[in-house]
Amino acid sequence: MIRCQALRWGAPGQPLTPPVDFELSTGSLTAVIGANGSGKSSLLKVIAGLQKPLTGKIFHDVPHKGSLSFLPQQQHLDRQFPISLRELVAAGFWGSKQSPNLRNQRLKTALEDWCLCGLEHRPLMALSGGELQRALLARMSLAQTPLLLLDEPHAALDELGQALLWKHIHAWHAKGRTLVVVCHDLAAVRQHIPHALLIKSSGCVLGPSTELIRQQPQTQVA
Amino acid sequence: MLSAAQLWQPFHEFVFMRRALLGGLVLACSTAPLGVFLILRRMSLIGDAVAHGILPGAALGFWFAGLSLPALTFGGLGAGLSMAGLAAWITRRTGLREDASLAAIYPISLASGVLILGIAGKRLDLLHLLFGSALAVDGPTLNGMLWVSGFSLIAMALIYKPLLLDTLDPLFLQTVSRLGPLAHGLFLTLVVLNLVIGFQAIGALMVVGLMMLPAAASRFWSRRLPVLIAIAAMLGSLSVWLGLLLSFFHSVPSGPAIVLVAGGFYLLSVVFGPVHGLLRRPPLFTSQ
Repeated sequence: MIRCQALRWGAPGQPLTPPVDFELSTGSLTAVIGANGSGKSSLLKVIAGLQKPLTGKIFHDVPHKGSLSFLPQQQHLDRQFPISLRELVAAGFWGSKQSPNLRNQRLKTALEDWCLCGLEHRPLMALSGGELQRALLARMSLAQTPLLLLDEPHAALDELGQALLWKHIHAWHAKGRTLVVVCHDLAAVRQHIPHALLIKSSGCVLGPSTELIRQQPQTQVA
Repeated sequence: MLSAAQLWQPFHEFVFMRRALLGGLVLACSTAPLGVFLILRRMSLIGDAVAHGILPGAALGFWFAGLSLPALTFGGLGAGLSMAGLAAWITRRTGLREDASLAAIYPISLASGVLILGIAGKRLDLLHLLFGSALAVDGPTLNGMLWVSGFSLIAMALIYKPLLLDTLDPLFLQTVSRLGPLAHGLFLTLVVLNLVIGFQAIGALMVVGLMMLPAAASRFWSRRLPVLIAIAAMLGSLSVWLGLLLSFFHSVPSGPAIVLVAGGFYLLSVVFGPVHGLLRRPPLFTSQ
């Protein structure tokens, strides 16, 4: 469960919206939609605790570190970093107390799940954008956190990769985990995500995604 | 050309050569991971800034306590840490880019160091502080180097994983752990500590060379982080050994000799290194 009270976020002195209140229940799957610059990514960072809200409060039912996973947009990664795909994915085990055997097994399964077999030993430099994105998603799947925050997870993924992504998102949702997904692809949101949080400069609207997106035909263009 | 016996003979014969070699080798090993991480964090310039920052502190220590190891060390440590801290603070509070902030701090440090030395009198040679003399490593200095190197190797092994993740993907580390800032702070402290203990042996400016040159050279030999660190340590150790021999047989100052050998390795790596060296086509990927 995520509850926001009188929340404002954005650059200091320039809040993106008036104070907003909303609540995302445990086990919900919610898309965050809105135009460029409306503050979708920063809202996700505020929820993840990576950025301070300007005013207001956020309550999680998973307060301590390590109980949420955050998938940022991938431009921030240094592609020249001397590390292999396998090491990147295995970072998802941070803080896990599982035995090395179990970890190896799970790492292997995750690599298979995300179609990364055969790429384990490649350095980041030799990965395509889509392969890197699938690696970051595989790392996220290893962490098994109850709350998942994804910022444009479908970016850089081809059709096959997107199908894989939606399959996993539905599987995570079915297991009762809470998901918040920032997504530009409104058609995909309508098809795959039951609820949406629309951010406008006048405030936020939370509702069924099919209704929200029908009401906002102009955002189809964005 | 040196014969095989000459490669070892000076160290066998003279205790000051043995001390210089041992001190230099441990320093090369402990600065290797620091240099590699500085480059990965895009903080290569901070070594220069801290090395200059050490100078006023060491000069003050000399002014008050004379040529004593603890005074020079603590003076240098305090000044180096406060210079690094001041630069970081200005960056955080004003948004001035980190490299500009560092570049602004170090002429200030250098000038104040030279000024203090001028006021303190001429007994301490500025050249000695900046370029050092590996051949003047005495027992206490060697002990200090062994302690600092041992401590920083152990500390780096302990913070290796959080530091790696904090460098590659700080947002990820922030969501899973609070260790990021701690690892970063400890890492910077280790950099300053190594520069301070090194400046008495091979000089403030030269120890930056020993830290950064092998690290930059290693980048042309591997794409795996542990291998990069091992290669940097190996190149650094080789530079110390060959540099000391060069200095012994040709009567040249030891600090610059060591750094120039390291510089030679760097240039060779740029040309012949298998990873994006000038003579190699970049391979698409390395398996294993």
